Amino acid sequence: MSWIRTEWTAEEADEWTKEDLITIILSPLAYLLLTVGVALACLFMWQGYVLTVIGGICTYYMHKIIDPKLRAISSEYEKKQQEYLADLEASTRWEN
Amino acid sequence: MNVVFTFLDWFWVVMFLLLMIGSGILFYRLGKRSESDFFLAGRGLPWWLPASSVYATHTATDTPMWITGVSYKHGMAGIWYTFFSAWAAISAFVSTRIFRRSLAYTQAEWNVVRFTGIGAEMLRGWMAGWQVFMNMFILGWVGIAMGKVCEFLFGWEPWIGLITFSAVCAIYVLAAGYWGVVMADFQQGIIAFLIIMIVSIWGIVEAGGPSGIVEKLQNLDIQREARIETLAAMDANQLSSVSKQELAFFGADTTMTYQQIATLEATDFSMPRTEASRTNPFAFTGWATGDLPLAWCLTMIFIAILGGFGMGTTIDWYAEAQRIQSAKTVRDATYSIWWGTLVGLVRNSIWAVAILAFYVLNPWVFDVGEYEMGWFRLGFDYLPAGMLGFFFAAILAIHLSTISSHLNLGALYATRDLFHHYAKPDASEKELVWVGRISTLILLVGSFFFGLMMEDITSWLIFAIWIMAAGIWLPNILQVIWWRFNSWGYLSAWMANLAFSWLIVWILPHYGVLPELADYQQFWLLMIFGAFVYIPVTFLTKPEDMDHLVKYYVQARPVGFWGPVRKEAIRRGLINDPNAAATT
Repeated sequence: MSWIRTEWTAEEADEWTKEDLITIILSPLAYLLLTVGVALACLFMWQGYVLTVIGGICTYYMHKIIDPKLRAISSEYEKKQQEYLADLEASTRWEN
Repeated sequence: MNVVFTFLDWFWVVMFLLLMIGSGILFYRLGKRSESDFFLAGRGLPWWLPASSVYATHTATDTPMWITGVSYKHGMAGIWYTFFSAWAAISAFVSTRIFRRSLAYTQAEWNVVRFTGIGAEMLRGWMAGWQVFMNMFILGWVGIAMGKVCEFLFGWEPWIGLITFSAVCAIYVLAAGYWGVVMADFQQGIIAFLIIMIVSIWGIVEAGGPSGIVEKLQNLDIQREARIETLAAMDANQLSSVSKQELAFFGADTTMTYQQIATLEATDFSMPRTEASRTNPFAFTGWATGDLPLAWCLTMIFIAILGGFGMGTTIDWYAEAQRIQSAKTVRDATYSIWWGTLVGLVRNSIWAVAILAFYVLNPWVFDVGEYEMGWFRLGFDYLPAGMLGFFFAAILAIHLSTISSHLNLGALYATRDLFHHYAKPDASEKELVWVGRISTLILLVGSFFFGLMMEDITSWLIFAIWIMAAGIWLPNILQVIWWRFNSWGYLSAWMANLAFSWLIVWILPHYGVLPELADYQQFWLLMIFGAFVYIPVTFLTKPEDMDHLVKYYVQARPVGFWGPVRKEAIRRGLINDPNAAATT
């Protein structure tokens, strides 16, 4: 999957990219497949096993695609968080 | 039914309650340190703790009743009722990220981060008041559900179960705040999941296993035909001893009189689905006809999934918002929402199969109140002695996890948005923690009154969901994705929704101006009517202040239509233009 980025700078990770788009397509699909798949698998129906396995694969790839980006966003944002929190408290206390 | 507990059963119950209260005492010192600790556990939790809280909070005492109700009535296709929680599929990667970056304690506070001026303040005050009320209301309806379970099991008056267990729960919430909630939720989530598996598997085995369930459903189809033949052969006098619910179940038109029904042939009885099709999750009753139309299901999936672009598109968002802010990073917040919801969805699937087992063991129960207790009956009818107490302890876990979350959440809005922001902005951390505790106590007492007033849980639940979701579903998305949507547009959407909800759901049908509409039809109508108010209001009022929008954009990096704000942020040098960087 060379077309999926795994290395992100902080600035690049802040942008909404194709990795986000693929994730928000895979994510509901995974929910849908796992919900129906588990129900049918509990009734020993072969369709249930197939759907559950496909749902699991969707979940795996979703994480593989989005996790590097989430890590980059998180590490960058944590550096600024204290400053933002101070701003938030100041606005609560009506100091600005 | 009256359940008799042995010593071992009471041992499980007492040990569980001691464990929960003990965890409150254990985290007392952490909870009292600051407002941030009492309500957000210091914003430092790894993803699996808020995830377990997401799961535990949304497994309430009334959840098995509700899921049993829809699964017993519709078979496996009833799981689509529970699919509304799939809003987290997109939200975890979009609105959760944006909200976590805003750092707002509550959704009410988010309004002043996103909007500005008097409109934003009005929104914050309104939403905070509304959430205090809603949490008290939820506490009441979940509390009285526990009261009904205790009445069902032990023959107690409903108020005893309501007051006793909510009060026990309040001990650890008062002591340790959100620290107590989330630590107890972790244990309660595990206990609840374990017992849901055990009881469900036990019930499935009692019904003859998965293949036994399928076989019994096929046999029920044969028995059903025989029953319809019997009903068709009855005269009006004999039919009058058959309930209308039973006649409706077997496909008779119950708007007819008994005399008219007596003239029907067996072929005139038309059941919406065969018994065997109860194993099919896609067994709808038509495009827009019957009690489970495909149009309803598509609306549900549409609302749920696309709602993830917004904030507050379902009632669950408000509790999740607290869990998002308690996660230590954006990544932790994302995974907490995604995984917590997935466990809930999978649990619903297993529950649905267990209810099929209950159905074949107890077919053709026509009284809703009776079959809604189906999952509880699987446990209390079939688990061996000594395990009953463990089952009841798990029911308490299910109950306490929801009560504790809403006690703390309601108190958060009262403390942070009402007291701290409006009454005493310079309050010390110690004062804020004490106000949090007093608010918790007020919510607890208020919930007793709500609970005792609530007779019909389902109709209130549906109305509350419409109030919170239908007419403001789209505005809740627009506030996230469209820079031009302003506080006046959003405020007008709320006001219009309150008025239209009452009109469309209650008043107009009551006076015959509108026919009784299905819930999914109400949703579309409320969405369209609301847009006629908030879209003109948005364009007739000024956009939010650009300085404020730029500050918000740089911090939260929202998705969607933010072009002018983004350009301004780039012009000010607050963010870099990746396109410009690519061309140099």
